[in-house]
Amino acid sequence: MLSTPLYDVEEKVGASFGEFAGWRMPMEYSSYQKEHMAVRQEVAFFDLSHMGRLRLKGKISEVETLVAKTVSRKENNVMIGPTAFLNDRGGFVDDVMVYKLSDDEFLVVTNAVNREKDIQWIRKNSSLEVEDLTFKYVMLAIQGRKVWNYLARVDLEPLHFKLNAEFMGEKVFLLSRSGWTGEEGVEVWADVETGKRLVEKLISIGMTPAGLITRDSLRQEMGFVLYGEDIDESVNPVEARYWVFSLEKDFIGKAKVEEYLANGVEKLRVGFKMNKGERSLPRNGNKLKLLDKEVGYVTSSTYSPYLSRVIGMGYVNSRNFVLGYSVHVEVRGKKYSVKLTDFPLVKVQ
Amino acid sequence: MKVGKYEVLEDRYYTESDEWVKIEGEIVTVGITDYAQKKLRDIVGVELPQVGREVKMGESIAVVESVKAAADIYSPLSGTVVEVNEDLISEPELINRDPYGAGWIFKLKVANKAEVEKLLTAEKYSEKIRGD
Repeated sequence: MLSTPLYDVEEKVGASFGEFAGWRMPMEYSSYQKEHMAVRQEVAFFDLSHMGRLRLKGKISEVETLVAKTVSRKENNVMIGPTAFLNDRGGFVDDVMVYKLSDDEFLVVTNAVNREKDIQWIRKNSSLEVEDLTFKYVMLAIQGRKVWNYLARVDLEPLHFKLNAEFMGEKVFLLSRSGWTGEEGVEVWADVETGKRLVEKLISIGMTPAGLITRDSLRQEMGFVLYGEDIDESVNPVEARYWVFSLEKDFIGKAKVEEYLANGVEKLRVGFKMNKGERSLPRNGNKLKLLDKEVGYVTSSTYSPYLSRVIGMGYVNSRNFVLGYSVHVEVRGKKYSVKLTDFPLVKVQ
Repeated sequence: MKVGKYEVLEDRYYTESDEWVKIEGEIVTVGITDYAQKKLRDIVGVELPQVGREVKMGESIAVVESVKAAADIYSPLSGTVVEVNEDLISEPELINRDPYGAGWIFKLKVANKAEVEKLLTAEKYSEKIRGD
């Protein structure tokens, strides 16, 4: 099993570790509910060093073929994403973030579980040079409503990033603005030793360390998908209502995406909320039923500390896409009412 | 006693499936161990058994829901459920906070005291979780 290079310093501040996508990562420090609320009310930081980070070099036209969103028209030093690598059936090979460094150099952040698959796929479908930076740098994300009370305001436009920037007195490889929790935030790539010092500095200014359980509850509140649970190679962006493509250019899977858009799809992704007080968590594969007829299934769920109720997402047959209406979910043979809801499930100001 | 980062109390018996049992005459109190709650992580829900239900030793009787997984709780002895911890319905996190105290799950009136001999002592249970 791979392990985060920040293991020692995180263990010292009380992390409990667990396996995710073949990596030993901090799952939580105190309680995920406290860490979650720290992001919604103050600020917290996350170690995301398990996520694959690749440097691509070569023709931009080849990158355009791989990535579903347009990159050519973007200026340098901007993030493009989330976008996706799609297979020729329009299914998700992966959902990724792309950073455009120049017209012939790009960084890509992949899901941890897909890093090796993505490298193979890029090599198979292009002549781009691929360098795996995953083990060279660690990645920290700092997220929260009051992030700027803790950090000097980072001089970056939301989608822009800086290479070789200075952050908290340390030289970091990449610094960018990001907001996958729905709150303000920054993302930092740094070498391992700098990363360790940054963790210590963030702790010393009173920032809450948060683990991957919190990351999961935050992303579900915002309605963001997790690869392997909510999307995979058999699901396309139209079904997932995940608008990660641009039809103004060609990319692998485009013909299928156009077909799905024009002809419609069998199922659509939807969020749900359970009633307050219901404390059973539907799991991946649990059935959604309407008047005792199976109309869909759950892909992920969690207990939302912000809403104090169980939330989740899944797919509903497009003919039964009764957004705003309640259906039943079956958990261990028992029926619970859940309201189908659009994303995000939490509206943050 | 401490076994690694887990607490094991000497005044209880234990099961292979990580329940603890505190015996007070004919009534036993049951919960899950510190080891079990740490493995499950944040507990967000509990399905309690019906008071009055008769159960056999090893029968699935309750469910503890965590963000990680749903875990069946097995009755450590045969008997009748005489009380359940209603506080867990609104505060399931009591199991994380105080697994051997406020986080107890149910009480049984024991049908066959001889079954107690099949339970693990604190020492045997410590051996089971040592090194994990």
